Amino acid sequence: MVDLMVLLSGILVGILFGFVLQRGRFCMNSAFRDIILLKEYKLVKSVILALTTCMIGFGIMGLAGIVSYNPKGFTLYGSIIGGLIFGMGMVLAAGCASGTTYRVGEGMMGSLVALLGLGLGAYMTAAGALSGAKAALQSVPITNADGTSLSVFGDLTSIFGLIIGAVGFALAIYFWVLPVMKEKGNDKFLDFSDLKVKIFNTGWPWYTVGIIIGIVNIIAWPLSAAAGRNYPLGITAGWLGNLKYLVSGDEANLNWLTWMVIGVVLGGLLGSVIGKEFKLRTPKDAKVLLLQFIGGILMGFGAVVGMGCNIGNLLSGIPQFSVGSIVVAGGIVLGCWIMAYIMFMRE
Amino acid sequence: MVDITETLDCLGDVCPYPDVKSKRKVKKMKSGEVLKILVDYPLSAERIPETMTSLGHEVLSSEKEEGESKWTILIKIK
Repeated sequence: MVDLMVLLSGILVGILFGFVLQRGRFCMNSAFRDIILLKEYKLVKSVILALTTCMIGFGIMGLAGIVSYNPKGFTLYGSIIGGLIFGMGMVLAAGCASGTTYRVGEGMMGSLVALLGLGLGAYMTAAGALSGAKAALQSVPITNADGTSLSVFGDLTSIFGLIIGAVGFALAIYFWVLPVMKEKGNDKFLDFSDLKVKIFNTGWPWYTVGIIIGIVNIIAWPLSAAAGRNYPLGITAGWLGNLKYLVSGDEANLNWLTWMVIGVVLGGLLGSVIGKEFKLRTPKDAKVLLLQFIGGILMGFGAVVGMGCNIGNLLSGIPQFSVGSIVVAGGIVLGCWIMAYIMFMRE
Repeated sequence: MVDITETLDCLGDVCPYPDVKSKRKVKKMKSGEVLKILVDYPLSAERIPETMTSLGHEVLSSEKEEGESKWTILIKIK
């Protein structure tokens, strides 16, 4: 039986997440790629604000005993190569795992093709033709002496996370956000005038987006834990579960995350319809569509080998200071830069 | 009314194609010419004017079509 509470909790968090992603145009692929491609740093600042917000929230919840840290594992070759391949795939797919998911809701058929690739690639790697490659790449796990996952601060993660998060957040606000606000002539941090227009009719400023993404992830963790899955947001495992269910009919594959990812599509749809940005559209150049499919498969492979995508490892894993997640995140950024160079920067 | 020198159709293109195409296009154009960019991808529609401004070009206008996900951006090359 499908547990209705799990379904509702997952789908509602997903709708919220998807709506924020869509209105905020939050895309990690663009964030990392544009550092080298357009010398544009707004989106990556937004990612850093999201991460520091998560560190603070996770730290408080950890100290209060609301959640217990559950960092992802680290395998020597799996984490490095998984991250690299994921990063290269996301440039080809024109979107990270979360970006691809919410854009399906915006009506972008190229992202739908990328998403099918992601599911297929993840399935092949987790339980199919490529599972041998996965086993080989993950054959050198590096753990604590007792077999638990390695994290930078071990048992002290919540207190260190809270401190690092708070300091990082304060620095980001002081050096990045305040100057922008002064420039705009808007010294009020929260300006509630024309709220309806700001939420529904225009894209959100990058700093608002980063902080809200962080807050959504903080809300998501205890709700996900209550549904039997002790982890903040993720994307790839959700699509993998949905695909396994669709192929096998086995309801055991459905959980909080599989409903959450469907919610992200719905949230993207909701945000784009209200903002009058919804439109079914497809790249004119068929080659782009093919590249998006290949990129999706690479992302699926990389996410399974590295035990998480840009959300599971980057957004949810870095604030838990998982060594594996930090290595995968480094691989994702590097892979993204390599592919962006190959595709867009050679004249 | 401005004289449009060239039109760049990025309808259907996903990020970063509109950004990259428009950046490459303006590089090839001469000073004073006007480029019209059609784009239907929200992030690019918001970012192209910013990128162009930072490159020193003048953004003559950037308008969203009423009730539709489609923007027209006019750039005057520096």
